[in-house]
Amino acid sequence: MDNKKRVVVTGLGLVCGLGNDVDTCWRNALNGKTGIDDVKSVNTENCYARKGAEVDLPNGELSDENYDRSSLLCIKATAEALDDAGLELSKEDSRRIGVILGSCVGGAASIDKYYTEEINGGKGDPQDIWKMSASAIANNVAKHFALNGTTANIVNACAAGTMSIAYACDLIRAGKADVFAAGGTDSFSSLAFSGFHALHALDADSCSPFNRSSGITLGEGSGVLIVESYEHAKARGAKIYCDVLGSGVSSDAHHITAPRPDGMGQMAAIRRAMENSALKPQDIDYINAHGTGTAKNDEAEFLSLHTLFDESDNLSVSSTKSMTGHCLGAAGSIEAVFSVKSVCDNVIPPTIGYSEEDLKTLKEKAGKLDFVPNQKREKAVTHVMSNSFAFGGNNASIIFSKVPAELPEKKVDERIFVTGIGKLLGEKTENEAEGLRAQFGSADFKAHGVKMAFFRKLDRFSQLQLLSGVSALENAGITVDETNENNIGIVIGTADGPLKEIADFQINAIKNGTEKGSAFAFPNTVYNAAGGYLSIFSDIRGYNATVANGIQAGLQSICYAVDVIRCGEADTMLAAGTDENTDIESSLCAELGILGSGKPYSKGGIALGEGSVTLVLEKESTASARGSKILAEVAGCATAHCGTEAYKISGTMSALEQAIEDACADAGITPAQIDAVCGFADGNEAVDALEADAYRKVFGKDIPVLCVKETCGEARAAAAALSAAYAAELLAGMTDSEVNCYTVSADGVAEGRFNTGSARYLLATSFGLGGSYSAVVIKKAP
Amino acid sequence: MNIEIAEKIKKVLVDTLRIPEDELEFDSELFGEDIGLDSIDSIEIIACIDELFGIDMTGAPREDFQTIETLTNYVETHKEA
Repeated sequence: MDNKKRVVVTGLGLVCGLGNDVDTCWRNALNGKTGIDDVKSVNTENCYARKGAEVDLPNGELSDENYDRSSLLCIKATAEALDDAGLELSKEDSRRIGVILGSCVGGAASIDKYYTEEINGGKGDPQDIWKMSASAIANNVAKHFALNGTTANIVNACAAGTMSIAYACDLIRAGKADVFAAGGTDSFSSLAFSGFHALHALDADSCSPFNRSSGITLGEGSGVLIVESYEHAKARGAKIYCDVLGSGVSSDAHHITAPRPDGMGQMAAIRRAMENSALKPQDIDYINAHGTGTAKNDEAEFLSLHTLFDESDNLSVSSTKSMTGHCLGAAGSIEAVFSVKSVCDNVIPPTIGYSEEDLKTLKEKAGKLDFVPNQKREKAVTHVMSNSFAFGGNNASIIFSKVPAELPEKKVDERIFVTGIGKLLGEKTENEAEGLRAQFGSADFKAHGVKMAFFRKLDRFSQLQLLSGVSALENAGITVDETNENNIGIVIGTADGPLKEIADFQINAIKNGTEKGSAFAFPNTVYNAAGGYLSIFSDIRGYNATVANGIQAGLQSICYAVDVIRCGEADTMLAAGTDENTDIESSLCAELGILGSGKPYSKGGIALGEGSVTLVLEKESTASARGSKILAEVAGCATAHCGTEAYKISGTMSALEQAIEDACADAGITPAQIDAVCGFADGNEAVDALEADAYRKVFGKDIPVLCVKETCGEARAAAAALSAAYAAELLAGMTDSEVNCYTVSADGVAEGRFNTGSARYLLATSFGLGGSYSAVVIKKAP
Repeated sequence: MNIEIAEKIKKVLVDTLRIPEDELEFDSELFGEDIGLDSIDSIEIIACIDELFGIDMTGAPREDFQTIETLTNYVETHKEA
């Protein structure tokens, strides 16, 4: 047994409609009690559905922090989980404990509050602007508990909670951390209620998964698992609940809201999870199903389960959403807590809602599978699978086990190359207050073979990403077909996601009523819609994740993509950074008083930009097998975090230094070997000073800094990805042999020129609000 | 066909379903390959027609949704009724 690969669960935390702690929720779930009641936090007066599973605690009783409700729910659950794990944080290296959380709606409650105040004649509270993005959540939680390992918010809608736990375990196995608080969170929101109402996807009564299947019931909550390397847990004498074995993530490449009717995407994720756990279908004792209660989900899921598990004699399946409601980005995390409890207690929570008549129908539909109707089932439980499927066609599956397993060796120890780049960035407009906007239209889509019937469905955020993603694939000369479609993946980073579509949807619902939500717009309000559309158009069916984590998410996406390749889950990854600039973003930034000239190191304020930059990353064997051109090597990656002051632009040097040192170490070099930095200076005084100070300290020499934001503006995640893309282009000789730079020296910052000819190692860096940083070492191609 | 009603419907399709204005004629096949509306879009059309004219198209036959022309005719007929 290779204990280095063992990841165990040592702590659990939970708050949802069933109760405010793990024990209460679990007891209620086993007793088949429902958490669903009439909705209180959203005006449902004119709606055909009025049910929801809300948490019975006001914000002030969740935590004394002043954050959005999604963060507060998660702080409550994380506090319970950390306490349960018995981690003495004062004795731990906080840099080895990270926070990875899933969310779908992010700060939707704060967006609702801000625009409600604006519309009702008053003025929105500027603090709510800082609370809007899902980017804030993991940073808030990490700061609250002073955890300084990798932070990330995985924003893949309803698969986000499961994916977060899976990614945290992958990072522990890769040695990047010892411990993670991993899970998910989502508050109840008028955004989601109005959206699912518009899609007629809400059940008028309490949802009834695998039964009536006439729609979902929304819920809220947060589930958090403390996942830890076995060695770390053992060294500190921790109690161990169970092992986390393998996971699988896939993309349907089918439809933005509906699952593939043939269940192929779901089954790909499930098969991958079993393969990565060295288990067969017959080994699984219990599946906590996605089981939302919509006809389309339940039909596809019945089909997947029957196809894969009909040979099993002893499989129980249940949907705990029948009691918790569908908690979206928290769903997978809540269900993970139930899965772990099931392993520990040898008992399976029921799917509730079956009448005598329903039970007869179920018998026909279920075949040999036991759907645990209405009453819990006591039996020996060794292996539990938890499945989550999401908007955008994202599927995730993870396995918890009473016993460790000999996991297959899939680690990839090859060089990873940049083999293609796609870019779409903003240009200055006549109206200075607008900042920089990308200019594109129908002709640009048609040039890439995207039909109007497809691109008209996309909001601006998704359109930017589609164009850069498709360009990158073309630039790399990759044709997606059945030989590679499952081995290509996507990771998209964003600071603010599709904020325009979200705000417009919200403003409409505030002005016209919850019942007047737009069915057309709602699918685009989830952060992972852009990744979904890109996979649908290009037929990419492998890993698919979207990370919201401030500006630096566009660079963190490269770190994440490298992690995915290194752990053997993909051969090729598209790593992207995308953020939009519309009337919504520019007015919010104006309200915060941060806009200005955008000239780096000028203290003149930022010029808001937008765009999308996609890099194609490919492992060496795949790149050479197809004889692809190589632009540069991604030699090392790292992320770091250190909590920082809220409600202002601020950062901490220590975490940036850490990210740089770790990225260099990952590349097998010292910071002294870095020839120049592609940095993140944007004209904001605090950001630029922090950057220059950190470089002085880390490099201890004059260092040329190339500022991509001087031309593309503060395009946030797009600029962060561009810093790496630009480094690759410089090293590939695709730019002038001499380019503008700023030289950071002990005396100050001076404009200068950088000769690219002799450069071997360039470093791309970025920062994010909330205290997260990423650094990537780009090396000249061999 | 009532041009005023047709123009109103066209505007709402352009605004809410992001169909490029210059590619949308009164007789364009809405659910055909070019524009490619789907079931989610038809939910939106029903909501818009209700909002604009106070007419509920829920359950109306598929052919009434084919073009702006057919939608206009449906509105005209049911307005008078």
